[in-house]
Amino acid sequence: MTIPLAHYLIFSGILFSIGLAGVLIRRNILVVFMCLEMMLSAANISLVAFSRAQGTEGIPVYDAQVLSLFIVAIAAAEVSIGLALIVAMFRARRTVDSSALNTLKD
Amino acid sequence: MNDIATYCSATYTWGQFTPAFILIGIAAVLLMADTFIKALPKRAYALTAAIGALLVACLTVSGEHTNAYSFLACLATGLSILLAYDYTKVSCASIAGGSNDEGTGEFYALPLVACAGILCLTQAADLIMVFVSLEVVTLTSYVLAGYFRRNQGSIEAGIKYLVLGAMSTGILVFGAAWYFGMSGTFILDSSVVIDTLRVGSVAPGTVAIGFLMAVALLFLGAFFKVGAAPMHVWIPDVYQGAPTPTTTFLAVASKTAGFALLCALVVPFRDLAIPGVLVADMLVCVFGIVAAATLLIGNLGALFQSNAKRLLGYSSIGQAGFILVFFVNLSGPVEALTFQYLMAYTLATVAAFFAIAMVRTQRGSEEICAFRGLGKTNPRTAFLIVVSFASLAGVPLTMGFLVKMASFISLVTVMQSWTCLVWLLPIMVVTAAAGFYYYFKIIRAMYWEKPQAEDKPLCVPFCTACVMTACAIALIVLGTWPLIGSFR
Repeated sequence: MTIPLAHYLIFSGILFSIGLAGVLIRRNILVVFMCLEMMLSAANISLVAFSRAQGTEGIPVYDAQVLSLFIVAIAAAEVSIGLALIVAMFRARRTVDSSALNTLKD
Repeated sequence: MNDIATYCSATYTWGQFTPAFILIGIAAVLLMADTFIKALPKRAYALTAAIGALLVACLTVSGEHTNAYSFLACLATGLSILLAYDYTKVSCASIAGGSNDEGTGEFYALPLVACAGILCLTQAADLIMVFVSLEVVTLTSYVLAGYFRRNQGSIEAGIKYLVLGAMSTGILVFGAAWYFGMSGTFILDSSVVIDTLRVGSVAPGTVAIGFLMAVALLFLGAFFKVGAAPMHVWIPDVYQGAPTPTTTFLAVASKTAGFALLCALVVPFRDLAIPGVLVADMLVCVFGIVAAATLLIGNLGALFQSNAKRLLGYSSIGQAGFILVFFVNLSGPVEALTFQYLMAYTLATVAAFFAIAMVRTQRGSEEICAFRGLGKTNPRTAFLIVVSFASLAGVPLTMGFLVKMASFISLVTVMQSWTCLVWLLPIMVVTAAAGFYYYFKIIRAMYWEKPQAEDKPLCVPFCTACVMTACAIALIVLGTWPLIGSFR
Protein backbone atom coordinates (compact mmCIF):
# COMPACT_ATOMS: atom_id res chain seq x y z
CA MET A 1 0.00 0.00 0.00
CA THR A 2 1.39 3.39 -0.91
CA ILE A 3 0.37 6.61 0.77
CA PRO A 4 -1.02 9.04 -1.82
CA LEU A 5 0.66 12.39 -2.42
CA ALA A 6 -2.32 14.33 -1.09
CA HIS A 7 -1.81 12.96 2.42
CA TYR A 8 1.74 14.28 2.54
CA LEU A 9 0.62 17.65 1.23
CA ILE A 10 -2.21 17.97 3.74
CA PHE A 11 0.15 16.99 6.55
CA SER A 12 2.77 19.51 5.49
CA GLY A 13 0.10 22.17 5.06
CA ILE A 14 -1.12 21.58 8.62
CA LEU A 15 2.46 21.65 9.93
CA PHE A 16 3.10 24.91 8.07
CA SER A 17 -0.08 26.50 9.46
CA ILE A 18 0.74 25.45 13.01
CA GLY A 19 4.23 26.91 12.62
CA LEU A 20 2.94 30.18 11.18
CA ALA A 21 0.29 30.50 13.89
CA GLY A 22 2.88 29.78 16.56
CA VAL A 23 5.22 32.47 15.24
CA LEU A 24 2.42 35.00 15.30
CA ILE A 25 0.82 34.01 18.63
CA ARG A 26 3.44 32.67 21.03
CA ARG A 27 5.34 35.09 23.29
CA ASN A 28 8.32 32.94 24.33
CA ILE A 29 11.05 33.45 21.74
CA LEU A 30 12.38 29.92 22.10
CA VAL A 31 8.94 28.55 21.20
CA VAL A 32 8.76 31.00 18.30
CA PHE A 33 12.05 29.54 17.08
CA MET A 34 10.70 26.00 17.21
CA CYS A 35 7.71 27.16 15.21
CA LEU A 36 10.03 28.68 12.59
CA GLU A 37 11.80 25.34 12.29
CA MET A 38 8.42 23.68 11.89
CA MET A 39 7.65 25.89 8.89
CA LEU A 40 10.91 24.85 7.25
CA SER A 41 10.23 21.17 8.00
CA ALA A 42 6.81 21.49 6.38
CA ALA A 43 8.50 22.77 3.23
CA ASN A 44 10.95 19.85 3.39
CA ILE A 45 8.15 17.28 3.60
CA SER A 46 6.38 18.81 0.59
CA LEU A 47 9.63 18.87 -1.35
CA VAL A 48 10.44 15.23 -0.73
CA ALA A 49 6.86 14.17 -1.45
CA PHE A 50 6.82 16.16 -4.69
CA SER A 51 10.19 14.79 -5.71
CA ARG A 52 8.77 11.25 -5.49
CA ALA A 53 5.54 12.21 -7.23
CA GLN A 54 7.28 13.95 -10.13
CA GLY A 55 9.70 11.06 -10.66
CA THR A 56 9.35 8.32 -13.23
CA GLU A 57 9.86 4.56 -12.77
CA GLY A 58 10.58 4.87 -9.08
CA ILE A 59 13.42 7.34 -9.56
CA PRO A 60 12.64 10.64 -7.84
CA VAL A 61 13.61 14.05 -9.24
CA TYR A 62 16.65 14.85 -7.14
CA ASP A 63 16.43 18.66 -7.60
CA ALA A 64 13.86 18.90 -4.83
CA GLN A 65 15.84 16.70 -2.46
CA VAL A 66 18.92 18.85 -3.06
CA LEU A 67 16.92 21.91 -2.05
CA SER A 68 15.65 20.15 1.07
CA LEU A 69 19.27 19.37 2.06
CA PHE A 70 20.14 23.04 1.59
CA ILE A 71 17.16 23.96 3.76
CA VAL A 72 18.36 21.67 6.57
CA ALA A 73 21.84 23.23 6.46
CA ILE A 74 20.56 26.79 6.39
CA ALA A 75 18.04 26.13 9.16
CA ALA A 76 20.92 24.97 11.35
CA ALA A 77 22.85 28.17 10.62
CA GLU A 78 19.76 30.23 11.35
CA VAL A 79 19.25 28.52 14.71
CA SER A 80 22.84 29.10 15.75
CA ILE A 81 22.52 32.82 15.02
CA GLY A 82 19.14 32.95 16.70
CA LEU A 83 20.32 31.24 19.88
CA ALA A 84 23.29 33.61 20.05
CA LEU A 85 20.92 36.56 19.86
CA ILE A 86 18.62 35.03 22.48
CA VAL A 87 21.57 34.56 24.85
CA ALA A 88 22.56 38.19 24.30
CA MET A 89 18.99 39.26 24.97
CA PHE A 90 18.78 37.15 28.13
CA ARG A 91 22.01 38.70 29.43
CA ALA A 92 20.67 42.18 28.81
CA ARG A 93 17.10 41.76 30.08
CA ARG A 94 16.92 38.52 32.11
CA THR A 95 13.95 37.32 30.08
CA VAL A 96 13.20 35.70 26.71
CA ASP A 97 9.65 36.98 26.46
CA SER A 98 8.93 38.85 23.26
CA SER A 99 6.78 41.42 25.07
CA ALA A 100 10.03 42.66 26.66
CA LEU A 101 11.14 43.77 23.19
CA ASN A 102 9.70 47.25 23.56
CA THR A 103 12.64 49.67 23.22
CA LEU A 104 11.86 50.37 19.59
CA LYS A 105 8.40 51.65 18.82
CA ASP A 106 6.57 54.64 17.41
CA MET B 1 14.10 15.28 -16.82
CA ASN B 2 17.62 14.78 -18.19
CA ASP B 3 17.30 17.76 -20.47
CA ILE B 4 16.48 19.89 -17.43
CA ALA B 5 19.69 18.68 -15.79
CA THR B 6 21.73 19.67 -18.83
CA TYR B 7 19.86 22.98 -18.93
CA CYS B 8 20.84 23.62 -15.31
CA SER B 9 24.49 22.89 -15.87
CA ALA B 10 24.47 25.06 -18.96
CA THR B 11 22.84 28.01 -17.18
CA TYR B 12 25.65 28.73 -14.76
CA THR B 13 29.34 29.01 -15.46
CA TRP B 14 32.06 29.42 -12.86
CA GLY B 15 33.13 32.59 -14.63
CA GLN B 16 29.96 34.49 -13.96
CA PHE B 17 30.51 34.19 -10.21
CA THR B 18 34.06 35.61 -10.31
CA PRO B 19 33.09 38.90 -8.58
CA ALA B 20 31.36 36.95 -5.80
CA PHE B 21 34.40 34.70 -5.35
CA ILE B 22 36.67 37.75 -5.10
CA LEU B 23 34.47 39.22 -2.36
CA ILE B 24 34.37 35.94 -0.45
CA GLY B 25 38.16 35.71 -0.78
CA ILE B 26 38.68 39.19 0.65
CA ALA B 27 36.27 38.42 3.49
CA ALA B 28 38.06 35.15 4.30
CA VAL B 29 41.47 36.83 4.33
CA LEU B 30 40.13 39.57 6.61
CA LEU B 31 38.55 37.07 9.00
CA MET B 32 41.79 35.07 9.16
CA ALA B 33 43.81 38.23 9.75
CA ASP B 34 41.34 39.25 12.44
CA THR B 35 41.98 35.96 14.22
CA PHE B 36 45.74 35.62 13.85
CA ILE B 37 47.22 39.13 13.49
CA LYS B 38 46.16 40.88 16.68
CA ALA B 39 48.46 43.86 16.22
CA LEU B 40 46.73 45.27 13.14
CA PRO B 41 44.30 48.12 13.91
CA LYS B 42 40.76 47.05 12.99
CA ARG B 43 40.15 50.20 10.96
CA ALA B 44 42.63 48.87 8.40
CA TYR B 45 40.16 46.00 7.76
CA ALA B 46 37.40 48.51 7.10
CA LEU B 47 39.48 50.32 4.49
CA THR B 48 40.56 47.07 2.82
CA ALA B 49 37.01 45.75 2.71
CA ALA B 50 35.59 49.02 1.38
CA ILE B 51 38.24 49.33 -1.33
CA GLY B 52 37.71 45.68 -2.28
CA ALA B 53 33.97 46.15 -2.63
CA LEU B 54 34.37 49.32 -4.69
CA LEU B 55 36.93 47.64 -6.98
CA VAL B 56 34.54 44.73 -7.54
CA ALA B 57 31.88 47.34 -8.33
CA CYS B 58 34.21 48.64 -11.08
CA LEU B 59 34.52 45.06 -12.34
CA THR B 60 30.74 44.80 -12.74
CA VAL B 61 30.41 48.00 -14.78
CA SER B 62 31.96 46.68 -17.97
CA GLY B 63 33.20 43.53 -19.60
CA GLU B 64 31.70 40.07 -19.20
CA HIS B 65 30.47 40.61 -15.63
CA THR B 66 28.25 43.59 -16.47
CA ASN B 67 25.20 43.59 -14.24
CA ALA B 68 23.39 46.72 -13.08
CA TYR B 69 22.13 45.28 -9.80
CA SER B 70 25.54 43.77 -8.94
CA PHE B 71 27.13 47.16 -9.50
CA LEU B 72 24.62 48.84 -7.22
CA ALA B 73 25.01 46.20 -4.50
CA CYS B 74 28.83 46.43 -4.52
CA LEU B 75 28.73 50.22 -4.50
CA ALA B 76 26.28 50.25 -1.60
CA THR B 77 28.30 47.70 0.37
CA GLY B 78 31.53 49.61 -0.17
CA LEU B 79 29.94 52.86 0.97
CA SER B 80 28.34 51.29 4.03
CA ILE B 81 31.72 49.84 5.08
CA LEU B 82 33.25 53.30 4.61
CA LEU B 83 30.54 54.58 6.93
CA ALA B 84 31.54 51.88 9.45
CA TYR B 85 35.11 53.24 9.15
CA ASP B 86 33.96 56.68 10.28
CA TYR B 87 31.72 55.15 12.94
CA THR B 88 34.44 53.27 14.88
CA LYS B 89 34.04 55.40 18.00
CA VAL B 90 30.46 54.24 18.52
CA SER B 91 31.26 50.69 17.32
CA CYS B 92 34.04 50.23 19.86
CA ALA B 93 31.90 51.57 22.69
CA SER B 94 28.98 49.32 21.77
CA ILE B 95 30.92 46.10 21.11
CA ALA B 96 33.77 45.80 23.62
CA GLY B 97 33.06 48.88 25.73
CA GLY B 98 35.32 51.92 25.90
CA SER B 99 37.76 52.61 23.08
CA ASN B 100 38.95 48.99 22.82
CA ASP B 101 38.51 47.74 19.24
CA GLU B 102 38.48 44.05 20.23
CA GLY B 103 35.87 42.07 18.27
CA THR B 104 35.05 44.74 15.71
CA GLY B 105 36.87 42.99 12.85
CA GLU B 106 33.93 40.87 11.62
CA PHE B 107 31.76 43.95 11.47
CA TYR B 108 33.76 45.06 8.43
CA ALA B 109 34.19 41.65 6.80
CA LEU B 110 30.62 40.31 7.00
CA PRO B 111 29.04 42.87 4.61
CA LEU B 112 31.34 41.49 1.90
CA VAL B 113 29.87 38.00 2.40
CA ALA B 114 26.36 39.40 2.18
CA CYS B 115 27.32 41.32 -0.95
CA ALA B 116 28.63 38.10 -2.52
CA GLY B 117 25.21 36.60 -1.80
CA ILE B 118 23.53 39.50 -3.60
CA LEU B 119 25.84 39.04 -6.60
CA CYS B 120 24.78 35.37 -6.81
CA LEU B 121 21.13 36.37 -6.42
CA THR B 122 21.33 38.72 -9.39
CA GLN B 123 22.58 35.80 -11.52
CA ALA B 124 19.99 33.33 -10.27
CA ALA B 125 17.87 31.54 -12.87
CA ASP B 126 16.31 28.90 -10.63
CA LEU B 127 14.80 28.78 -7.18
CA ILE B 128 17.57 26.74 -5.50
CA MET B 129 20.07 29.45 -6.38
CA VAL B 130 17.58 32.11 -5.29
CA PHE B 131 17.05 30.46 -1.92
CA VAL B 132 20.69 29.80 -1.08
CA SER B 133 21.99 33.20 -2.14
CA LEU B 134 19.10 34.96 -0.41
CA GLU B 135 19.90 33.13 2.81
CA VAL B 136 23.55 34.14 2.54
CA VAL B 137 22.36 37.74 2.50
CA THR B 138 19.78 37.45 5.27
CA LEU B 139 21.81 35.30 7.71
CA THR B 140 24.68 37.79 7.52
CA SER B 141 22.26 40.66 7.96
CA TYR B 142 20.87 39.13 11.19
CA VAL B 143 24.37 39.03 12.64
CA LEU B 144 25.10 42.58 11.52
CA ALA B 145 21.81 43.92 12.89
CA GLY B 146 22.44 42.45 16.33
CA TYR B 147 26.16 43.18 16.34
CA PHE B 148 26.24 45.93 19.01
CA ARG B 149 25.73 43.59 21.91
CA ARG B 150 26.00 46.32 24.56
CA ASN B 151 23.16 48.20 22.93
CA GLN B 152 19.59 47.15 23.83
CA GLY B 153 18.19 48.50 20.57
CA SER B 154 20.63 46.54 18.44
CA ILE B 155 19.84 43.19 20.11
CA GLU B 156 16.14 43.88 19.85
CA ALA B 157 16.52 44.78 16.18
CA GLY B 158 18.49 41.57 15.59
CA ILE B 159 15.86 39.35 17.20
CA LYS B 160 12.92 41.06 15.48
CA TYR B 161 14.67 40.85 12.14
CA LEU B 162 15.56 37.21 12.68
CA VAL B 163 12.04 36.10 13.65
CA LEU B 164 10.30 37.96 10.84
CA GLY B 165 13.04 37.15 8.33
CA ALA B 166 12.97 33.45 9.14
CA MET B 167 9.19 33.51 8.80
CA SER B 168 9.45 35.03 5.34
CA THR B 169 12.10 32.43 4.46
CA GLY B 170 9.70 29.69 5.50
CA ILE B 171 6.98 31.20 3.32
CA LEU B 172 9.35 31.56 0.36
CA VAL B 173 10.61 28.02 0.61
CA PHE B 174 7.10 26.60 0.94
CA GLY B 175 6.28 28.50 -2.22
CA ALA B 176 9.36 27.03 -3.90
CA ALA B 177 8.21 23.52 -2.93
CA TRP B 178 4.81 24.09 -4.53
CA TYR B 179 6.39 25.72 -7.59
CA PHE B 180 8.36 22.51 -8.05
CA GLY B 181 5.36 20.32 -7.35
CA MET B 182 3.22 22.03 -9.95
CA SER B 183 5.77 22.62 -12.70
CA GLY B 184 8.30 19.81 -12.12
CA THR B 185 11.28 22.16 -12.16
CA PHE B 186 12.85 25.00 -10.19
CA ILE B 187 13.79 26.99 -13.28
CA LEU B 188 12.30 30.48 -13.47
CA ASP B 189 11.42 30.81 -17.13
CA SER B 190 8.45 32.02 -19.12
CA SER B 191 8.11 28.70 -20.95
CA VAL B 192 7.78 26.86 -17.63
CA VAL B 193 5.13 29.29 -16.43
CA ILE B 194 3.14 29.14 -19.66
CA ASP B 195 3.30 25.33 -19.87
CA THR B 196 2.19 24.92 -16.27
CA LEU B 197 -0.72 27.30 -16.65
CA ARG B 198 -1.81 25.69 -19.93
CA VAL B 199 -1.89 22.18 -18.45
CA GLY B 200 -3.95 23.67 -15.64
CA SER B 201 -6.52 25.09 -18.02
CA VAL B 202 -7.04 21.68 -19.64
CA ALA B 203 -7.33 19.70 -16.40
CA PRO B 204 -10.00 21.77 -14.59
CA GLY B 205 -7.80 24.45 -13.06
CA THR B 206 -6.31 22.42 -10.23
CA VAL B 207 -2.67 22.74 -11.23
CA ALA B 208 -3.12 26.41 -11.99
CA ILE B 209 -4.48 27.12 -8.51
CA GLY B 210 -1.58 25.35 -6.80
CA PHE B 211 0.83 27.15 -9.08
CA LEU B 212 -0.69 30.54 -8.36
CA MET B 213 -0.49 29.81 -4.62
CA ALA B 214 3.20 28.96 -5.06
CA VAL B 215 3.83 32.20 -6.95
CA ALA B 216 1.94 34.20 -4.33
CA LEU B 217 4.07 32.72 -1.54
CA LEU B 218 7.25 33.45 -3.52
CA PHE B 219 6.13 37.05 -4.01
CA LEU B 220 5.45 37.38 -0.27
CA GLY B 221 9.04 36.32 0.42
CA ALA B 222 10.32 38.91 -2.03
CA PHE B 223 8.03 41.60 -0.59
CA PHE B 224 9.68 41.03 2.79
CA LYS B 225 13.09 41.87 1.34
CA VAL B 226 11.93 45.06 -0.37
CA GLY B 227 9.71 46.09 2.54
CA ALA B 228 6.40 46.11 0.64
CA ALA B 229 3.07 46.38 2.37
CA PRO B 230 2.03 43.19 4.10
CA MET B 231 5.63 42.34 5.00
CA HIS B 232 6.95 45.79 5.95
CA VAL B 233 6.54 45.61 9.76
CA TRP B 234 10.21 44.89 10.45
CA ILE B 235 11.58 47.92 8.65
CA PRO B 236 11.05 50.81 11.11
CA ASP B 237 12.18 48.84 14.18
CA VAL B 238 15.19 47.20 12.56
CA TYR B 239 16.33 50.39 10.84
CA GLN B 240 16.13 52.32 14.10
CA GLY B 241 17.78 49.70 16.30
CA ALA B 242 20.51 48.32 14.05
CA PRO B 243 23.96 49.96 13.97
CA THR B 244 23.89 52.82 11.45
CA PRO B 245 26.35 51.18 8.99
CA THR B 246 24.16 48.06 9.03
CA THR B 247 21.05 50.16 8.53
CA THR B 248 22.72 51.70 5.51
CA PHE B 249 23.52 48.25 4.18
CA LEU B 250 19.95 47.04 4.74
CA ALA B 251 18.44 50.19 3.23
CA VAL B 252 20.42 50.11 0.02
CA ALA B 253 22.21 46.80 -0.66
CA SER B 254 19.55 44.53 0.83
CA LYS B 255 16.79 46.46 -0.94
CA THR B 256 18.67 46.04 -4.22
CA ALA B 257 18.75 42.30 -3.55
CA GLY B 258 15.00 42.33 -2.92
CA PHE B 259 14.25 44.06 -6.20
CA ALA B 260 16.64 41.79 -8.10
CA LEU B 261 14.67 38.87 -6.67
CA LEU B 262 11.32 40.46 -7.50
CA CYS B 263 12.48 41.07 -11.10
CA ALA B 264 13.61 37.45 -11.41
CA LEU B 265 10.19 36.29 -10.21
CA VAL B 266 8.18 38.69 -12.37
CA VAL B 267 10.05 38.43 -15.67
CA PRO B 268 8.68 34.92 -16.50
CA PHE B 269 5.19 36.43 -16.45
CA ARG B 270 6.04 39.23 -18.85
CA ASP B 271 4.87 37.36 -21.96
CA LEU B 272 1.45 36.93 -20.36
CA ALA B 273 0.97 40.65 -19.70
CA ILE B 274 -1.97 41.15 -22.07
CA PRO B 275 -5.27 42.66 -20.86
CA GLY B 276 -7.89 39.94 -20.59
CA VAL B 277 -5.48 37.16 -19.61
CA LEU B 278 -6.60 36.12 -16.13
CA VAL B 279 -3.09 35.78 -14.68
CA ALA B 280 -2.06 39.18 -16.01
CA ASP B 281 -5.17 40.84 -14.56
CA MET B 282 -4.47 39.25 -11.20
CA LEU B 283 -0.81 40.27 -11.19
CA VAL B 284 -1.60 43.86 -12.16
CA CYS B 285 -4.29 44.07 -9.46
CA VAL B 286 -2.02 42.57 -6.80
CA PHE B 287 0.89 44.85 -7.63
CA GLY B 288 -1.44 47.85 -7.80
CA ILE B 289 -2.88 47.14 -4.36
CA VAL B 290 0.51 46.33 -2.82
CA ALA B 291 2.05 49.47 -4.31
CA ALA B 292 -0.81 51.61 -3.01
CA ALA B 293 -0.67 50.12 0.49
CA THR B 294 3.12 50.45 0.59
CA LEU B 295 2.98 54.08 -0.52
CA LEU B 296 0.34 54.96 2.07
CA ILE B 297 1.96 53.11 4.99
CA GLY B 298 5.46 54.36 4.24
CA ASN B 299 4.69 57.99 3.55
CA LEU B 300 1.93 58.54 6.10
CA GLY B 301 3.86 56.66 8.80
CA ALA B 302 6.89 58.88 8.24
CA LEU B 303 4.92 62.07 8.90
CA PHE B 304 5.02 61.76 12.69
CA GLN B 305 8.54 60.41 13.27
CA SER B 306 11.07 62.31 15.35
CA ASN B 307 13.96 59.82 15.05
CA ALA B 308 15.90 60.38 11.84
CA LYS B 309 16.78 56.69 11.32
CA ARG B 310 13.19 55.61 11.86
CA LEU B 311 12.06 58.33 9.47
CA LEU B 312 14.40 56.96 6.81
CA GLY B 313 12.99 53.49 7.53
CA TYR B 314 9.47 54.66 6.69
CA SER B 315 10.87 56.63 3.79
CA SER B 316 12.44 53.45 2.41
CA ILE B 317 9.02 51.75 2.55
CA GLY B 318 7.54 54.73 0.71
CA GLN B 319 10.26 54.71 -1.95
CA ALA B 320 9.74 50.97 -2.44
CA GLY B 321 6.10 51.82 -3.17
CA PHE B 322 7.13 54.10 -6.02
CA ILE B 323 9.38 51.34 -7.41
CA LEU B 324 6.55 48.80 -7.17
CA VAL B 325 4.54 50.99 -9.52
CA PHE B 326 7.03 50.01 -12.24
CA PHE B 327 6.03 46.40 -11.66
CA VAL B 328 2.38 47.22 -12.35
CA ASN B 329 3.46 48.02 -15.89
CA LEU B 330 4.76 44.49 -16.48
CA SER B 331 5.35 44.81 -20.22
CA GLY B 332 7.44 47.96 -19.77
CA PRO B 333 11.22 48.09 -19.16
CA VAL B 334 10.83 47.10 -15.48
CA GLU B 335 14.48 46.25 -14.81
CA ALA B 336 15.98 49.42 -16.30
CA LEU B 337 13.50 51.71 -14.54
CA THR B 338 13.96 49.90 -11.22
CA PHE B 339 17.71 50.24 -11.56
CA GLN B 340 17.47 53.98 -12.21
CA TYR B 341 15.17 54.51 -9.25
CA LEU B 342 17.40 52.41 -6.98
CA MET B 343 20.43 54.40 -8.15
CA ALA B 344 18.82 57.70 -7.16
CA TYR B 345 17.56 56.18 -3.90
CA THR B 346 20.97 54.68 -3.06
CA LEU B 347 22.94 57.89 -3.65
CA ALA B 348 20.54 60.01 -1.59
CA THR B 349 20.02 57.49 1.23
CA VAL B 350 23.72 56.75 1.67
CA ALA B 351 24.46 60.47 1.99
CA ALA B 352 21.60 60.85 4.48
CA PHE B 353 22.90 58.00 6.65
CA PHE B 354 26.43 59.44 6.58
CA ALA B 355 24.95 62.68 7.90
CA ILE B 356 22.98 60.86 10.62
CA ALA B 357 26.05 58.87 11.68
CA MET B 358 28.12 62.06 11.88
CA VAL B 359 25.50 63.82 14.01
CA ARG B 360 25.11 60.72 16.20
CA THR B 361 28.87 60.42 16.80
CA GLN B 362 29.36 64.08 17.69
CA ARG B 363 26.08 65.20 19.21
CA GLY B 364 25.09 61.83 20.70
CA SER B 365 21.56 61.74 19.29
CA GLU B 366 19.73 60.49 16.21
CA GLU B 367 16.68 62.69 16.76
CA ILE B 368 15.80 65.20 14.06
CA CYS B 369 16.29 68.07 16.53
CA ALA B 370 19.99 67.10 16.80
CA PHE B 371 20.38 68.57 13.30
CA ARG B 372 19.46 72.01 14.67
CA GLY B 373 21.41 74.96 13.37
CA LEU B 374 23.71 72.98 11.04
CA GLY B 375 22.94 75.60 8.40
CA LYS B 376 24.74 78.16 10.63
CA THR B 377 27.54 76.04 12.05
CA ASN B 378 28.37 73.86 9.00
CA PRO B 379 26.90 75.60 5.94
CA ARG B 380 28.62 73.43 3.34
CA THR B 381 27.71 70.11 4.99
CA ALA B 382 24.17 71.37 5.49
CA PHE B 383 23.91 72.07 1.76
CA LEU B 384 25.02 68.51 0.93
CA ILE B 385 22.37 67.15 3.32
CA VAL B 386 19.77 69.37 1.66
CA VAL B 387 20.66 67.94 -1.76
CA SER B 388 20.22 64.36 -0.61
CA PHE B 389 16.91 64.95 1.17
CA ALA B 390 15.62 67.09 -1.70
CA SER B 391 16.40 64.22 -4.05
CA LEU B 392 14.54 61.77 -1.81
CA ALA B 393 11.56 64.14 -1.83
CA GLY B 394 11.77 64.56 -5.60
CA VAL B 395 12.68 68.23 -6.03
CA PRO B 396 13.30 69.13 -9.70
CA LEU B 397 16.93 69.34 -10.89
CA THR B 398 17.86 66.33 -8.75
CA MET B 399 17.83 62.72 -9.89
CA GLY B 400 15.06 61.93 -7.44
CA PHE B 401 12.66 64.08 -9.47
CA LEU B 402 13.36 62.29 -12.73
CA VAL B 403 12.90 58.79 -11.35
CA LYS B 404 9.72 59.75 -9.49
CA MET B 405 8.41 61.21 -12.73
CA ALA B 406 9.28 57.93 -14.47
CA SER B 407 7.14 56.17 -11.87
CA PHE B 408 4.14 58.42 -12.71
CA ILE B 409 4.71 57.99 -16.45
CA SER B 410 4.83 54.23 -15.99
CA LEU B 411 1.44 54.28 -14.26
CA VAL B 412 -0.10 56.50 -16.93
CA THR B 413 1.21 54.10 -19.60
CA VAL B 414 -0.29 51.05 -17.95
CA MET B 415 -3.61 52.86 -17.43
CA GLN B 416 -4.11 52.80 -21.21
CA SER B 417 -4.50 49.01 -21.00
CA TRP B 418 -5.91 48.66 -17.48
CA THR B 419 -8.13 51.68 -16.89
CA CYS B 420 -9.22 50.21 -13.54
CA LEU B 421 -5.92 51.48 -12.06
CA VAL B 422 -7.00 55.13 -12.12
CA TRP B 423 -7.39 55.18 -8.32
CA LEU B 424 -3.64 54.63 -7.88
CA LEU B 425 -2.80 58.04 -9.38
CA PRO B 426 -4.28 60.24 -6.60
CA ILE B 427 -2.61 58.01 -3.99
CA MET B 428 0.75 58.58 -5.68
CA VAL B 429 0.18 62.34 -5.81
CA VAL B 430 -0.81 62.55 -2.13
CA THR B 431 2.08 60.39 -0.93
CA ALA B 432 4.62 62.27 -3.04
CA ALA B 433 3.34 65.49 -1.46
CA ALA B 434 3.57 63.95 2.02
CA GLY B 435 7.21 63.19 1.22
CA PHE B 436 7.94 66.88 0.86
CA TYR B 437 6.62 67.50 4.37
CA TYR B 438 8.67 64.94 6.24
CA TYR B 439 11.93 65.20 4.31
CA PHE B 440 11.86 68.95 4.81
CA LYS B 441 11.53 68.49 8.58
CA ILE B 442 15.28 67.84 8.68
CA ILE B 443 16.02 70.73 6.32
CA ARG B 444 13.85 72.98 8.51
CA ALA B 445 15.70 71.87 11.64
CA MET B 446 19.00 72.78 9.99
CA TYR B 447 18.06 76.25 8.78
CA TRP B 448 15.12 77.50 10.87
CA GLU B 449 16.17 76.40 14.33
CA LYS B 450 18.88 78.37 16.12
CA PRO B 451 22.01 76.47 17.20
CA GLN B 452 22.23 76.28 20.97
CA ALA B 453 25.16 77.69 22.90
CA GLU B 454 26.85 74.33 23.49
CA ASP B 455 26.56 73.24 19.81
CA LYS B 456 30.01 73.31 18.31
CA PRO B 457 30.43 73.02 14.53
CA LEU B 458 30.69 69.34 13.56
CA CYS B 459 34.10 68.26 12.36
CA VAL B 460 33.43 66.31 9.17
CA PRO B 461 35.49 63.09 8.87
CA PHE B 462 37.37 62.58 5.61
CA CYS B 463 35.34 59.63 4.23
CA THR B 464 32.05 61.31 5.13
CA ALA B 465 33.08 64.48 3.33
CA CYS B 466 34.18 62.59 0.20
CA VAL B 467 31.11 60.35 0.00
CA MET B 468 28.57 63.08 0.70
CA THR B 469 30.15 65.40 -1.87
CA ALA B 470 30.32 62.64 -4.48
CA CYS B 471 26.68 61.64 -3.86
CA ALA B 472 25.45 65.24 -4.06
CA ILE B 473 27.37 65.90 -7.28
CA ALA B 474 26.12 62.66 -8.81
CA LEU B 475 22.51 63.42 -7.85
CA ILE B 476 22.64 66.90 -9.39
CA VAL B 477 24.58 65.91 -12.51
CA LEU B 478 22.37 62.89 -13.23
CA GLY B 479 19.31 65.01 -12.48
CA THR B 480 20.20 67.85 -14.85
CA TRP B 481 21.92 65.84 -17.59
CA PRO B 482 18.73 64.97 -19.54
CA LEU B 483 17.77 68.69 -19.55
CA ILE B 484 21.18 69.74 -20.86
CA GLY B 485 20.97 66.95 -23.42
CA SER B 486 17.56 68.14 -24.64
CA PHE B 487 18.75 71.73 -25.16
CA ARG B 488 21.64 70.71 -27.39
